[in-house]
Amino acid sequence: MKKRGIGVGSMFYGIGYGFSRQDISSATIEICEDGSVIVRSGEVDYGQGSDTIFCQIVAEELGVRYDSIQMITADTFTTPNAGPTSASRVTYVTGKAMMKAAQAVKKTLQSVAEETLGESDLVFKDEKVYSMANPDKNITFEKLAKQCHLRGLKIVETAWHDITTKDVDPETGQGKAYSTYAWASQIAEVEVDTETGKVEILRIIAAHDVGKAINPSNVEGQIEGGAIMGMGYALEEEIKQERGYIKNTSLGEYMIPTSLDVPSIESHIIEVPVSDGPYGAKGVGEPALIPTAPAILNAICNALDIRITELPANLENLHRLIREKEKGNQ
Amino acid sequence: MQSYEFYTAESVEDCLGYLFEKKEVCQVIAGGTDLIPGLRNESIRPTFVLNILEIESMRGVIENDDEIRIGPTTTFTEMIESEILNRTLPLLVEAAKYVGGPQIRNRGTIGGNIATASPAADVLPAVLALDGVLEIQSKQAGSRFLTLAKAIEAPYKIRLQPDEIITGILINKLPPGTRCGYEKLGRRNAMARARMNMSMVIHLDEKGTISDLRIVPGAVLPVAQRFQEAEKILLGKKPDPQLLETAAEALAEKILKITGIRWSTEYKLPVIKSIFKWVFNRLVFKN
Amino acid sequence: MTKDKNKTLLRMKVNGKPLEVMVNPTWTLLRVLREELRLTGTKKGCEQGDCGLCTVILDGKAVNACLVLALQAESKEIETIEGLGKEDNLHPLQKSFIENGAVQCGFCTPGILMSAEALLRKNPKPSVDEIRIGISGNLCRCTGYSKIIKAINAVTKK
Repeated sequence: MKKRGIGVGSMFYGIGYGFSRQDISSATIEICEDGSVIVRSGEVDYGQGSDTIFCQIVAEELGVRYDSIQMITADTFTTPNAGPTSASRVTYVTGKAMMKAAQAVKKTLQSVAEETLGESDLVFKDEKVYSMANPDKNITFEKLAKQCHLRGLKIVETAWHDITTKDVDPETGQGKAYSTYAWASQIAEVEVDTETGKVEILRIIAAHDVGKAINPSNVEGQIEGGAIMGMGYALEEEIKQERGYIKNTSLGEYMIPTSLDVPSIESHIIEVPVSDGPYGAKGVGEPALIPTAPAILNAICNALDIRITELPANLENLHRLIREKEKGNQ
Repeated sequence: MQSYEFYTAESVEDCLGYLFEKKEVCQVIAGGTDLIPGLRNESIRPTFVLNILEIESMRGVIENDDEIRIGPTTTFTEMIESEILNRTLPLLVEAAKYVGGPQIRNRGTIGGNIATASPAADVLPAVLALDGVLEIQSKQAGSRFLTLAKAIEAPYKIRLQPDEIITGILINKLPPGTRCGYEKLGRRNAMARARMNMSMVIHLDEKGTISDLRIVPGAVLPVAQRFQEAEKILLGKKPDPQLLETAAEALAEKILKITGIRWSTEYKLPVIKSIFKWVFNRLVFKN
Repeated sequence: MTKDKNKTLLRMKVNGKPLEVMVNPTWTLLRVLREELRLTGTKKGCEQGDCGLCTVILDGKAVNACLVLALQAESKEIETIEGLGKEDNLHPLQKSFIENGAVQCGFCTPGILMSAEALLRKNPKPSVDEIRIGISGNLCRCTGYSKIIKAINAVTKK
């Protein structure tokens, strides 16, 4: 018999390392004589798209084309320490350091531009710097960079950003654990085959407050990928250990979802800006997978009236719980 | 350090000659989807490896008047796309669709699935349900025929002499009106070993009586086989839920008798009964 | 290091180019592509056919290069990701993957592109379900397959 159910999982999650653990980042931005921009960051982009949003942030601040920015990342010889790519912190901490570095560089450029144009209400946009009141008074970013270099000014700035928190009182648990939190809810619709214990996920709907989605497509990518990690965690992924040895070390034995297992995922990006994130952004990397398993387990409970307290809810485990409940009902 | 000589046979004759010479120390390879991991981790250490994928006559599906002949190096994809199999033996097509993923199906072969004789094989049980016969050849003894049922000696062991090779899989055509059904339960919907599978062939006469019934559950026994005890309960009768339940019990009993109680028994016994009943009802009441 | 006396000549076509390479019979096609031919676009994952990272097209069909012995590729036509498109002339699938955000870490991408290409050659207008089946032998951890399926689907609609 197939039974359907709907369940909700909600979560909040601290962004960054928290609890007074050091959480700093830095970024270096250099403007070359020809107006091109070089960004140096120790941060590793392993596919989530941090390089992309760094370019976006710098481009936004300086009004240059985002693809005219050269990123140099994760080179211990030349890039400043940005902390690890973990704890869902890269946009929030390094993104902010990036923004600060861009603003610092902008200051130098701005003072030269003010002198050159004789105006002070300057806007950096569309590869130009121009006066708000008199847009005819403008200079291209390229020419401005050249001007700065001709004056012997080296336009390179390194900015730091530190979100290390004070920590909580060890007695009362009160205080500042994390600098900010991400919030999310996910809804899962499942269909359970009560005779085999097989669970099909029909739909997942996810809503994540990310503060600000600097790159909405990448945020969706995180939510979609994370939800499937959560699905695997709930249903079939299991590390089998025996006396310290992992028994299932192959991809044939540790089962992650395939394209035929995944549901359609609808993601909703909620933006409640956080005051100290770049443009209000915080984090989504880990939050993406946190509410999924609870949502799925709640959906299974809705379908079968069975509370699952141990993962994975795989074929055998779920089947056993269903049979136990049937016996109990008799 | 693994080391072997590799030879690609050009014809069946060439292949049999080579096998005759090299015998025990020679490993035959077709699609290699089961074999190559074994060669890599050196659980198989042959002195010679004989590639049979280039022998044209070992590949393809031929329709004769009463029987279908399938070449052993026919891939699962070729089986799925075979017009003949879709028309005459759709059970094999259904089973082949469940194997692994597209890449595995493009290389894995029906002969390999049979010769490997894994207890969790996907297509082998379907061939059993169709009372498949193997044509086996050797240089010394020529051809012989062996039913697949008799050919499986033990898990991963098939009754082939070292100089023998399967050169054909022969299956009698089914009488018109015969219905076939296949079901596989895996931990995920692709790239999964069968937790269990079920192959079934059923024929109802004009009166609605079961005139033929073949049941082969897979991945529940060390050696897959037809469950004639369960078949006999329903044969000659009209489909009936009570009878079906009795047959399902007989199915489970047989499994328990052969395997004894194992860690998986608590799950496998009730579930194979459910799958059995589900496939039966799907075939009988599909219209 | 390697004893040359245990090597056999392998002749095959790779990305349209006929070539010859000396191989040890124990090598797989994957090893030849990556180590001998330096075509490292095809990735090495589980090396037992469970992940699809090493997917290439062999005589028009998507296969796991780790499950083809090198000498089984004799006289065959192999297509790898390097042959699919060039940086200045991307294949429509590659363009679509970029446009639709279907690439995160990128490790599964070459294999999935080859599976998608093999699918579209046989079935130029697959349904979404057929796309799912077409890439069901390729594991991805980052994307949850959503944008990958969207990207492949977008190409079929043109």
